[in-house]
Amino acid sequence: MKSGNAANSGPSRYLSSGPLVWVATIACTTLLLTLLKQALWFVVPFLLAIILYYALFPAVRRLTLAGVERETAAAIVAGIFFVAAVLAMVPTLPWLAAQTVTGEEALSRYLGGGQGLLDRTLTMLESQFAFLKRVEFHAEMAKKLASFGGSYAQDHLTDAVLSAAVSLPALLLAPFLAFFFLRDGRRFLKFCCDAVPNAYYERTLYMVDRVDATARAYFQGLLKLTGLDTVCLAVGLLIIGVPNAFALGLMAAVLAWVPFVGSVIGCAIVVLVAATDFPADPWVVYAAVALFLLVRLLDDFVFMPLTVGRSLHMHPLPTVVMIFVGGAVAGIPGLILVLPLAGVVMVIAGTIGGIVNNPRLRARNSFAKTLHARRITADLHS
Amino acid sequence: MLGFFLDRKETPRLGTLRQLFLFATLSRPELRVVDGMLHERRYLKGEVIFDEGEEGQTVYVVIAGRVLICRQGEPETGKITEIESGVVFGELALLDNAPRAAQARAAEDCVLASLARGDFESLLDTHAVIASKIALQLARQLGRQLRDRSAPGERKPL
Repeated sequence: MKSGNAANSGPSRYLSSGPLVWVATIACTTLLLTLLKQALWFVVPFLLAIILYYALFPAVRRLTLAGVERETAAAIVAGIFFVAAVLAMVPTLPWLAAQTVTGEEALSRYLGGGQGLLDRTLTMLESQFAFLKRVEFHAEMAKKLASFGGSYAQDHLTDAVLSAAVSLPALLLAPFLAFFFLRDGRRFLKFCCDAVPNAYYERTLYMVDRVDATARAYFQGLLKLTGLDTVCLAVGLLIIGVPNAFALGLMAAVLAWVPFVGSVIGCAIVVLVAATDFPADPWVVYAAVALFLLVRLLDDFVFMPLTVGRSLHMHPLPTVVMIFVGGAVAGIPGLILVLPLAGVVMVIAGTIGGIVNNPRLRARNSFAKTLHARRITADLHS
Repeated sequence: MLGFFLDRKETPRLGTLRQLFLFATLSRPELRVVDGMLHERRYLKGEVIFDEGEEGQTVYVVIAGRVLICRQGEPETGKITEIESGVVFGELALLDNAPRAAQARAAEDCVLASLARGDFESLLDTHAVIASKIALQLARQLGRQLRDRSAPGERKPL
């Protein structure tokens, strides 16, 4: 009668791991990214709503402890955030309007600055290496760049700007979604847990706890990482003497949310600004590039392990594979989403794997079903 | 100004929770915070709540019915104790992830409230006063069980 239950003991048995779980994780993440690609307009506000949720959640909890009902607390916190966001937007609107009007002019000025830098660099290279001059390297590069720039702008830039303008109103969904996450998030989790059979209940609680901890650690880590990057880049750019150091640092730090590509684009923007504002001083550009490399190294070896890196507990090899898969399946949003998504899917797949591999839990569930069946058919047998 | 938003109603649900030993010392706002974290589970007579040796994730409080604590797979001969309404069991799960010391089964149809270790740990971070009040009640129950340990039929902490 005594049934050994060694299979249940030990924390390692809770999350199953193995080749099957890994295959399931990669397959499910890819499938989810493919589905998300069909609703890209929803992905960005959803992502922002999750970040807002984790940023505002401590305030809601404080108010709840002070005696305010959860619904009211969520409304107060979301309302205060909304008003603060509107108040912060008011002074920046005239500046944004001015930037929009002069946007095209500024863009061509900075692109011109970048081209000037390239010209100067290629001329310098030709003067240093005779074989480059013989093959007319400078002229060839300039011709190819002009052709690439023209066709690229014609093919993609207009579409990108138009789709960004169309999806801008969808961003208004973010505070709306965050409010409902704050108000009903826990109720929704309880609702889901209530639907789980008793035999799997503790496992499910553990899974929910791990999923929440993973997402919370990732997004709060991402915010901390953005803050650290912004401060480092702003201070560095200020020392170098690049104007609007804080705005550029913040923009580059937010762009770094996109793995690999984001950092390169952020660096390119700062290089363009430096090359335009300091055309006679190439050392400012070199210093800006060196600063980005330094911050990148700090990110990889110091900041990320302290913030985002601790949240996912993924091996570097599948992490890199998942980043490539995310980029291939869903482009830039795929690159941003793939790591937190894979972290969450890994916990869920591990829990399901743990349940499937545990015959005792399945037997308990089957026994409970038999008890229910006996109870509801008891009067039929008499 | 905050007083305008305060909820002064004592719902029947909060009244039920207040009668449970583990939450007896919590104020109404504190009780509401804990209530948001509690899960209510229903078990039929004979159903296994947890097995001996299983890693404990939650502490249970009996809201209605009775729970049998017994040696693994020996509900008839291996009875250790029976837990009545209002009493806590599986309490060691809040303290560490050590294996359960015995099996728990529903002695009759019962309703249980459960508090997950993860939620308790988040209480420690965000609402230290609530967590310390729960921990103190838990310590009181463990102390009582240790004092009564020599008495036959008394149960050990799970």
